[in-house]
Amino acid sequence: MSGEVSFRDEVANMMYASHGNSISECLQCGTCSGTCPAVEFMDYSPRMLIGMIGAGLKDEVLGSNTFWSCASCFHCSVRCPAGIDIAGLMYALKRYSMWKDRHQEGLIGPAFTESFVKMIVGSGRSYEPALAPTYLFKYGPRGLIAEAETATNLVLKGRMALLPTKIKGLKAFQNMVRRIIPIGEPS
Amino acid sequence: MKNYAYYPGCSLESMAKSYNVSSVEVANALGLELKEIKDWNCCGATAYFPVDELLAHTLVSRNLALAEKQGASDFVAPCSACYKNAYFTNKYLREDRDLAEHINYALEAAHLHVNGNLHVRHLIEVFMEDVGLEAIGKHVERPLKGLKVAPYYGCQLLRPRKDHEDTENPRYFEDLLSAIGAEAVPYASKTRCCGGSLIITNRKAALEMVRILLEDAVAHKADLIATVCPMCNVNLEVYQSQVNREFGTDFAMPVMYFTQLMGLAFGLKRDRLGIGQEMVSGAPLLDFAAIQR
Amino acid sequence: MSEKIGVYVCHCGTNIAGTVDVKGVAEWAADRLKHRGVVIARDYKFMCSSLGQELIEKDIKELGLNRVIVAACSPHLHEKTFRTACANAGLNPFMCEMVSIREQVSWVHTDKDAATAKAKAMISGGVERVRHHEPLEPLTVPIHPATLVVGGGIAGIQSALEIADAGHHVYLVEREPSIGGHMAQFDKTFPTLDCSACILTPKMVQVGTHPNITLMTWSEVEKVDGYVGNFTVTVRKKARYVNTESCTGCGICWEKCPKKVVDTVFEAGMGNRKAIYTPFAQAVPRYPVLDVENCTYFKNGKCKACQLFCPTEPNSINLDQADEILTMQVGNIILATGYDLFDATRIPQYGYGRLGNVFTNLEFERMCNAAGPTEGRIVLRDMKTAPKSVAIVHCVGSRDENYNKYCSTICCMQSLKFAHLVMERTGAEVYNCYIDIRAAFKDYEEFYKRVLEEGGHFIRGKVAEISDVARIPEEQGKLVVQVEDTLIGKQRRIPVDMVILSAGLEPRADAKEVGKLFGIACGASGWYTEKHPKLDPVATMTEGIFIAGCVQGPKDIPASVAQGAAAAARVLGKIEQKEVALEPIRASVIEDQCSGCRICNGLCPFNAISFHEDRMVTEINPALCQGCGTCVAACPAGAIVGTGFSNEQVMAQIEGLMLLNVGPEPVAA
Repeated sequence: MSGEVSFRDEVANMMYASHGNSISECLQCGTCSGTCPAVEFMDYSPRMLIGMIGAGLKDEVLGSNTFWSCASCFHCSVRCPAGIDIAGLMYALKRYSMWKDRHQEGLIGPAFTESFVKMIVGSGRSYEPALAPTYLFKYGPRGLIAEAETATNLVLKGRMALLPTKIKGLKAFQNMVRRIIPIGEPS
Repeated sequence: MKNYAYYPGCSLESMAKSYNVSSVEVANALGLELKEIKDWNCCGATAYFPVDELLAHTLVSRNLALAEKQGASDFVAPCSACYKNAYFTNKYLREDRDLAEHINYALEAAHLHVNGNLHVRHLIEVFMEDVGLEAIGKHVERPLKGLKVAPYYGCQLLRPRKDHEDTENPRYFEDLLSAIGAEAVPYASKTRCCGGSLIITNRKAALEMVRILLEDAVAHKADLIATVCPMCNVNLEVYQSQVNREFGTDFAMPVMYFTQLMGLAFGLKRDRLGIGQEMVSGAPLLDFAAIQR
Repeated sequence: MSEKIGVYVCHCGTNIAGTVDVKGVAEWAADRLKHRGVVIARDYKFMCSSLGQELIEKDIKELGLNRVIVAACSPHLHEKTFRTACANAGLNPFMCEMVSIREQVSWVHTDKDAATAKAKAMISGGVERVRHHEPLEPLTVPIHPATLVVGGGIAGIQSALEIADAGHHVYLVEREPSIGGHMAQFDKTFPTLDCSACILTPKMVQVGTHPNITLMTWSEVEKVDGYVGNFTVTVRKKARYVNTESCTGCGICWEKCPKKVVDTVFEAGMGNRKAIYTPFAQAVPRYPVLDVENCTYFKNGKCKACQLFCPTEPNSINLDQADEILTMQVGNIILATGYDLFDATRIPQYGYGRLGNVFTNLEFERMCNAAGPTEGRIVLRDMKTAPKSVAIVHCVGSRDENYNKYCSTICCMQSLKFAHLVMERTGAEVYNCYIDIRAAFKDYEEFYKRVLEEGGHFIRGKVAEISDVARIPEEQGKLVVQVEDTLIGKQRRIPVDMVILSAGLEPRADAKEVGKLFGIACGASGWYTEKHPKLDPVATMTEGIFIAGCVQGPKDIPASVAQGAAAAARVLGKIEQKEVALEPIRASVIEDQCSGCRICNGLCPFNAISFHEDRMVTEINPALCQGCGTCVAACPAGAIVGTGFSNEQVMAQIEGLMLLNVGPEPVAA
């Protein structure tokens, strides 16, 4: 066998725990895309993306916003007649995209995801305000004002934590994380 | 009596505080003890799977390990995303020895170990299965007569599990609402996605998805939408004003947690159910319903 | 008698020779197995060729061989060939044993040294075994000339007519009150658009009046005993509560019957019948049946209108009638019990059962039928409004890991037919939503073209969901079909008035139980297993039991007819031969050694074992026994021997495989 691994195989390798069938079994029936509630906002439908993966169109796939627009509702996965975990595939493409740092310009997802992960590793708990910089300025002035209004209302209703919380066993938690991915020595 | 380990999840500490307090109140009223897991960490929601699968499962496993450590038989999550993560991580730990080994190797550094022998449940499942409709009915002092509620199941409570009761047209939420005296309206979009984290990463998409849910509730003449997940609740309620701004609509649809509705039906005080923190107030309706009984 | 064994090692072109050193193996056998009786060992390119067979025949005649080993392909393919060759040369065919060094060696291994060694071991095993072979004579049993056909649909009707026309008797048993099956429910048949009843009813009448056919409708087979050529069948003729001797089928009883019942069988729930009824006007036989579950008299003792108004002398209504149990002797059985429709409520997102104007294909057939509940008018559930737009959903419950993995074969053509009928009768816009268009047979593709020309819209996409919730004004009051139009890459929402679901075909709900009655098995998808999927689709592994029609798998009417005729031809061939030779490979009980423990009694998959209470011994019916060996292995006293697979033979083969009796290595020169 030559050293070349097809793009389809690369993607399949990124799906460790997926319990669905291989994407090569796709019939291109379109059930996934007919079901997807976010498909209008994707440049390629999930079905098209699977076709493109099979055809080895790596650049086009990684350059699309399809998988970054997936809400992980899993409706496609439960309906797929070929038994493919399509939402799981979208996660795999996100991982591939993050790993290779290749994605469409202007997407909020990659930066947001990175911040979220760093935040959890840093404290063990989620703290929304810390994530704001990743997306706030991408909404444009109207969006920014709307978000500020929403945030203010939440604070006034006592529904926004003003300070981040840390778990008590944070050091042990970070040692645990370190055994999965290298996150550098604790500061 | 089962030993329930309670996993509130991050949003129940901040945006969905009312869900937290009402869940515990209602559980107590039904005679269930929910023991909060000590020092739990964020489950990763939908943000860890885009980075590393193994790490995502490890984060969840720490919470499962902590629950096992406190002697629990059941792991109860009121948030659908936390529930889905816990359910599948638990399942994979049992089915995949390599995965379990790798994760336990990591947990070892935190002086923990996970066996994967918990029963992972969503809070609504615990009420439906362990308590049962009849018993719930017995606790009702103020049936929510005349209140038309749209039962919003959302996604991750039902999917991607394929092994349980009808995921396309479940009826148990409707049955629960009937048991507390409310009228569950037929709600075609009851399993349609609210957009989840797209509210941040693709706001346009999420707002459209929320709009469809609100419109459907209005079309079926619902007085309010009941939710089982803090993410759904926030998207539907907190961002309702943004939906109005974006599409020029004038939705004023209250969105409440099912535990708040149960609590009201049980005659519990409103402030103990976190009522009063909403962006879209359901107060006038609730008063109406209270008079109707 | 000293053994004189001939060993023949086949090259099978390069199939075997490419992996196994066939020449070396033959030489090895001649040398190292000489002291075990091998007098000659040859290798040849294609043993199954006439030249190859001649090699064997010549050696038998010239060298006096009394045992033959052919190391080649699987016995499934050429065991008969080589046995016949032996028989031609005067050697009992059961003195020939095949060793599969193709399927079991060259086709499954790549290491040439290991494969060659394995081939040698297997031949050694064969040689050791064949030393214990005895000449056997096949068992012949007579064939009773009568035939049982179960199922009165088009396949069963075809079988029955062919056999009856050839002059032999047929018992046709049908569960419903009339024969006709699903074909009787259809309106038009593709691709000719023949009226289904018009082409079917002449055959039904022929069956009903044929002197050689005993028609038993409203009946079911309860028990089958015996074996090929000699089956004893027990049939329960359920009480019709009608005396068929005097009944003229005039119809006054069902006219006067006051109790209306929704007809969930023939009318697919779209129409009504009475408590006493015939399922449709052209029913054969014409005698009605009384549905006791819904009869006012049987429920609360009142009414008897049917009896009151029956004009015949004597009265044809017999409310005291009981079920009749009949037994008959037949030589062969043909199962043609058809299919059930996939239950579309299993796909909640399609709305069947919840949204009124979503219909199944069978409901729609009844609607189109001129004798149906709407007299052939295509209308919505309100029974009056004609639709202006109709969506037809392909692949409902088929080609789907979540329901049935297989393709139901006929639904694409049926959907095209519906598209044509809807456009013709209502002028409505029709949208066929499909994954692939399967139009493979004669004139099918042309029919597809015709529907395209007539203006049908085709959307390539599997329908995701059907909803009644409008998002835009155009969708108000409509059913919205949500589907990705894959050819243009867009998710579309198509508002229509009516949806027809092309639900797939499934095996009958009781197929497994019925199969057990007859001793045949179902495959993974539930359809009956044929003897060979390519070359023998109407026979089963049980001698004397044949299958025809959809019971073997989804198929259209021409294929069902062809299979019905094929099964009939097989049966007629058997009847013509008057007797059948059964393989002598079977088990028998040594009575003296049988302790009567009966452990073997429940083990036989072919119901060949019976117990004699008087003598406290077990007996095996040699005609039913298929020689599987289960009882032989199970008997704790070793009282059951298998001719053709005795313990001695099997143990010898094992010793041979372990090379225990192979001669010493030749001393190096």
